[in-house]
Amino acid sequence: MTDQAEEKAVAIGPPAAPVGWGLPALRGMATARMGWIGIAGVLLAALLFPPLIHNDGDIDAAANALSFAALALGLNIVVGFAGLLDLGYAAFFAIGAYTYGALASWQLHPAWSGFWEPFAFLDLVARVQGTGGDVVHFQVSFWLMMPIAAAIAAFFGVLFGAPTLRLRGDYLAIVTLGFGEIVPIVARNWPSLTNGAQGLNGVLPPRFFGYSFGISATPYYYVGLALIAFLMFTSQRLKTSRVGRAWMAIREDEIAAMAMGVDRVRYKLLAFAIGAAFAGTTGTLYVAKLQTATPEMFMFPVSVMILVMIVFGGMSNVWGVVVGALILQILQSWVLQDLSGWVNALGRLTGVEWLQRVQLASSIELIFGLILVVMMLYRRQGLIPATRRVAALSLEQQSAQVTRGGFETLGELGALEKRAGSDPLLDISDLTVRFGGLVALGSVALRVPAHSVLAVIGPNGSGKSTLFNAVTGLVPADAGSICFAGVEIAGEPPHVVLERGIARTFQNLRLFPNLTVLENVLIGMHARLQTGPVGALLRPPRTRHEEREARERAMEILSIFGNRLLPRADHAVSSLSYANRRRCEIARALASQPKLLLLDEPTAGMNPAETLELAEQIRSLHRLGLSIVLIEHKLDVVVNLADTVIVLDHGEKIAEGSPAEVRRDDEVIRAYLGRSAAYSSA
Amino acid sequence: MPTRRAIIVQLPAAAFTGALIARAAMAADKSVTIGINVPLTGSDAETAALIRDGAMIAVEDADAQGGVAGYKIEVTVLDDGTATAGQYDPAQAATNARKLVADKAVVAAIGPQMSGSGKAMAPILSQGNLATITPSSTNPDITDPKFAAQFRPAGKAIYFRTVTTDAYQGPNMANYFAQTLKIKNVYILDDSGAYGVGMADAFEAQAKKIGLTVLGHDQLDPREADYTTILTKIKSLNPDALYFGGTSLAGIKLVKQSYDVLPKVVKGGGDGVYSAALLKGAGYPAIEGWYATIAAPYIADNPDVAPWVKRFEAKYGHGPTSYSFTAYDAALVILDAIKRVAESGKPVNRDTVRDAIQSANVKTLQGAVSFDENGDIKDRTVSVFRYQHNDKYPVDDVLHQYKYLGVAPQTA
Amino acid sequence: MRDRYWVKLSLAAVLAAIVFLVGKYTSVIWILGEPHVLLQQVINGLSLGAMYALLAIGFTLVYGIMELINFAHFNVFMIGSFLGMWALEFLGLSGQSRVLTGLALCGTLAFAFAVAMLGSGVLGVAIERIALRPLRGIPGTTGMITTIGVSYILFNIILLSAGADAKNYPNPMPNLQWQVAGAVVDLREVLIWGISLILMAGLQLFVSRTRLGKAMRATAQDSEAARMMGIDVDRVIATAFFLGSALAGAAALIFGLYYNYTSFLIGYTAGLRAFTAAVLGGIGSITGAMVGGVIIGLIETLGGQLIAVRWTDVIIFSILVLVLVYAPTGLFGRAAPTKS
Repeated sequence: MTDQAEEKAVAIGPPAAPVGWGLPALRGMATARMGWIGIAGVLLAALLFPPLIHNDGDIDAAANALSFAALALGLNIVVGFAGLLDLGYAAFFAIGAYTYGALASWQLHPAWSGFWEPFAFLDLVARVQGTGGDVVHFQVSFWLMMPIAAAIAAFFGVLFGAPTLRLRGDYLAIVTLGFGEIVPIVARNWPSLTNGAQGLNGVLPPRFFGYSFGISATPYYYVGLALIAFLMFTSQRLKTSRVGRAWMAIREDEIAAMAMGVDRVRYKLLAFAIGAAFAGTTGTLYVAKLQTATPEMFMFPVSVMILVMIVFGGMSNVWGVVVGALILQILQSWVLQDLSGWVNALGRLTGVEWLQRVQLASSIELIFGLILVVMMLYRRQGLIPATRRVAALSLEQQSAQVTRGGFETLGELGALEKRAGSDPLLDISDLTVRFGGLVALGSVALRVPAHSVLAVIGPNGSGKSTLFNAVTGLVPADAGSICFAGVEIAGEPPHVVLERGIARTFQNLRLFPNLTVLENVLIGMHARLQTGPVGALLRPPRTRHEEREARERAMEILSIFGNRLLPRADHAVSSLSYANRRRCEIARALASQPKLLLLDEPTAGMNPAETLELAEQIRSLHRLGLSIVLIEHKLDVVVNLADTVIVLDHGEKIAEGSPAEVRRDDEVIRAYLGRSAAYSSA
Repeated sequence: MPTRRAIIVQLPAAAFTGALIARAAMAADKSVTIGINVPLTGSDAETAALIRDGAMIAVEDADAQGGVAGYKIEVTVLDDGTATAGQYDPAQAATNARKLVADKAVVAAIGPQMSGSGKAMAPILSQGNLATITPSSTNPDITDPKFAAQFRPAGKAIYFRTVTTDAYQGPNMANYFAQTLKIKNVYILDDSGAYGVGMADAFEAQAKKIGLTVLGHDQLDPREADYTTILTKIKSLNPDALYFGGTSLAGIKLVKQSYDVLPKVVKGGGDGVYSAALLKGAGYPAIEGWYATIAAPYIADNPDVAPWVKRFEAKYGHGPTSYSFTAYDAALVILDAIKRVAESGKPVNRDTVRDAIQSANVKTLQGAVSFDENGDIKDRTVSVFRYQHNDKYPVDDVLHQYKYLGVAPQTA
Repeated sequence: MRDRYWVKLSLAAVLAAIVFLVGKYTSVIWILGEPHVLLQQVINGLSLGAMYALLAIGFTLVYGIMELINFAHFNVFMIGSFLGMWALEFLGLSGQSRVLTGLALCGTLAFAFAVAMLGSGVLGVAIERIALRPLRGIPGTTGMITTIGVSYILFNIILLSAGADAKNYPNPMPNLQWQVAGAVVDLREVLIWGISLILMAGLQLFVSRTRLGKAMRATAQDSEAARMMGIDVDRVIATAFFLGSALAGAAALIFGLYYNYTSFLIGYTAGLRAFTAAVLGGIGSITGAMVGGVIIGLIETLGGQLIAVRWTDVIIFSILVLVLVYAPTGLFGRAAPTKS
């Protein structure tokens, strides 16, 4: 083993999140604190709850609590994972409920015709005698309806989510609130489908191999328990997969996520769809137990209650969300009611009128409000936070010497395309970008030959970062063409640009602050991996293999920076030093296997020794086959690294050539130092 | 930390156990429990409290005389309103029904107030063979034999009512408008709640049948403040009358604002208008001239009523609503059933009490109460009233401010 | 670019749907033949609009400076109306007991307005200080979630203490009416317009002429630069909350006098309409809030007249969603609530 690999084996522990089946996966579900025994204990208690308690009313309350916990899990995907504040989540609950209500009750009864024969054969409908002819009675099986309702809710999730894609957080919340209000109003005003305000009649209870669930709450409780287990499993699987990472990238920094290859449209819609699907399934269960549904059951206060549950329990932590939901439900339907009973009894004892009548359950919403305010002020991460405790670093791991000479090998990265030929890799002509009346870039043209380093310099405000933004698609080009490897990429969304092979870093650092170093780098690899939500859930061998390989590659990339990033692979990047964060961003960009690397002031904030180290590292990247465009203010770095330099001023290219040529150019001197300096050096 | 979480899990368990023990300790050796299930949380809270109060008078009277046939009467009051729903919550009602069924001491129940809760509760009560008598739930579906498989799967009637249903109250008023008041056209409003929509729809269906022109049917949002838009629109249509199905939340605002915009139009509503809360909120002169119905025979004929009302006011500090009477009557029926079962020597449990209720014929404030095989009250009288201000009494005194006009023509 | 294609396509579909629905379900032709009804609805709409405008300004003032959607604003409005009611009751008025005229009326109203406006203003400042200042600077929706919590707290304090029933508002104003071209104008409506105009004009003067007003505008444009110029941003924000809440308090008293009632629920619908008005007018722009308020008021009454009152909520929400999705700057706004 090489020195580096040895170091790697010693310095890091097990990977941040496990990938395999069985025990390791389950352990991944528990937080560090709960432990394996804790889960088994909880499971046993949950299974034995009905026979022990034997009070149908309490089992019913517990079944309701499980339903709300399932809703909390669903909202957690939208809000906790993807960071999309959905204030109208109850709408999907309603959609699931009314879908089941429509297809498994006496509500709809169209006239019988031959069209319905095959459905009757499949036992989905029945032919019954109605007034004035035979009618269709819908009786689709509950077990079939659970996934169907989930699918229909997912469809509406996409429908309601689509308009919000470009909106900022608080506006997204308002739009979702709007949809959340419209759905119950429509339900109330569509009596033929929903029986309006009077509530559905005759919703069918589920049947299990001939045994009808009937009235007792116990079978619903167990179905709820199974549903929760399944949803928790799904949530956890998604969270630790490529899909979960993409969501968290969007949550942390949408722009950086896009630049790193995450298709935000697809992933936002996916979050909405899956979150809505959870609610749709739960709606089916809830209504099947209740056997009726009224529009008032699905209004804004319900959405807020679910939000309070996840804020209370710990956003994005799967166990935390469930615990938060259960605690609040227990509070609402048990503790407060019983407390009211005691207070009332006390009132009867002491003869105080007010005490006899007080109903503490009414104050639950006051408690919700207090929870929201207190949690946001003092414990934003919730009861059970999502962050993990990491081991402290040893003294050895903390110290890091400046190394010289760059890196010799990049492992996988070493196999970069060695393009021969005289075609430029990046060919920009006549590029113009306008912001309102301001011309940020005016007819800029430049060429980056393959395997070369181009430096872009210029005073502040000259359009350098805008150039990068235009090339990577973060800002639309008003005119001109951008040609990469012979393909026109102007107008393509940022994630497609990344896929083609252009990666970048940002001037003001855009890492994903609450994610670990390793996760940041893995997100860089997003575009090169394939796993989708199904693969994330099922973890077939191909997915596990891909995940394992990705982690190994990520570790290799981190290791090129020596001792700096490897020991900190499981630390949140917000805890890193400034220079380490810059290195992390470069590592993330490298993870995407780019052909062209755009570095925006990579050495900003570094001392001369670190600057030199990074400059040499950049040179070795170049030697290994990468083409690089560099924005730099430190002219010595530019002189050492760049093959060609272009100078921008006020959005226009004012000089181009080798570093030596450019340094002497009059225009350049004037732009940097002013007119008098230009004259004096002439 | 596990300890903290363990405490949070153990605390409600302890609370629950404590409540059970406390309840058991408070039970005397011979006692039965009656459950009362009303939405004490949310927008219907006031009426719910009045219903509870009406029923409690009967229970307290009985206990003051040493119980019924030697049995002390305990009461369990359950709240099927939740803050989240802002009113009654069918899910909470279902949970409460299960609680009542699970509590072996409960032999009968009073409630629910709202039909939405009733739909959720009925199948559960049927399975547990626990009878409930509702003083105010008027949706006809729950006792309709057409839906028997849904709402009483065990076969026997368990949902009894001391009010008649929307199948009669709304339509009989339509008859009254058309035949007695000679109204030619009417505009209908409801308050978008289950009760209001049921009343308004039933009124509309009957109106169309008997040739009373319906100019339109719109819906008020009880949370909203301004109804002048719809009232202006109604004014432009020039109706003879306005019919309102709904309760006081929207009713108060409607009465006030229609007094300004539609002073000359005949206005009427269902038993949601026959309510002290609405009278107090709307006030005189706005309420003057409004017609109201109740789904019961005229009670003031009964000499027991006036002293009862006085007792109610003295005890609780405010006047009763029409449902307070029906709740009291419901309690009387249950107490009578318990007495008859005890006197016949049979054990007093929910099965025997249910049967006794089914065969009841009890003298109450609203006259003789008995039920048909579905649980509906046999007397389908709908009484019509009109507000005529009487200075000698406070505005919210339903009994004295509403003048009895007669029985509404029965729907065929 | 592909993004824009979908946006245009969906906008075309939505507009086509609107035209179809309007044609099929409204009584536009009919009403043109009944101008006095139209006029009456316009008058009603303007009164509603004035209230919404006052409420919307509060939203917009805060949003312009802090980019925070303040959910608690609705319920500050609601509490303001209770404060006004208690002020009037303190003076001995209750129900429709007494009608005052002249100086007595003016004095009573002045007292009630002072109490309602000051009380609401102080409440607004308190909310900012306790619940929002510690969170200033945190990006994202943390602040908004906190205001949802505060909103719930306010709502429930009133519900649990004052009860769920509607309260009768004391009404000291005489019942004067005038006939205008077949429509009826009430003294109360004149009061609303008068007071609203005075308050809005006052606000405009404050914002454009006084130092503090200029400081507010500067902070709204660039809070960093304003801080560096020596502007006390804390004070500016507190002022914005105070003014916005005080205007809400005035709107609340007007509401109580107009409808003769108040309850814990009034914040909800009025707040929604006012918020839509602020967004429609262009969030961050005071003129926009005023214009937006009037437009929403008119849409409410004319929509109710031409279609049906039961769909008003859906119409308002749809406007909100459509504006945010297709024209986020609204009519007069500057900042776009989208990511660049």
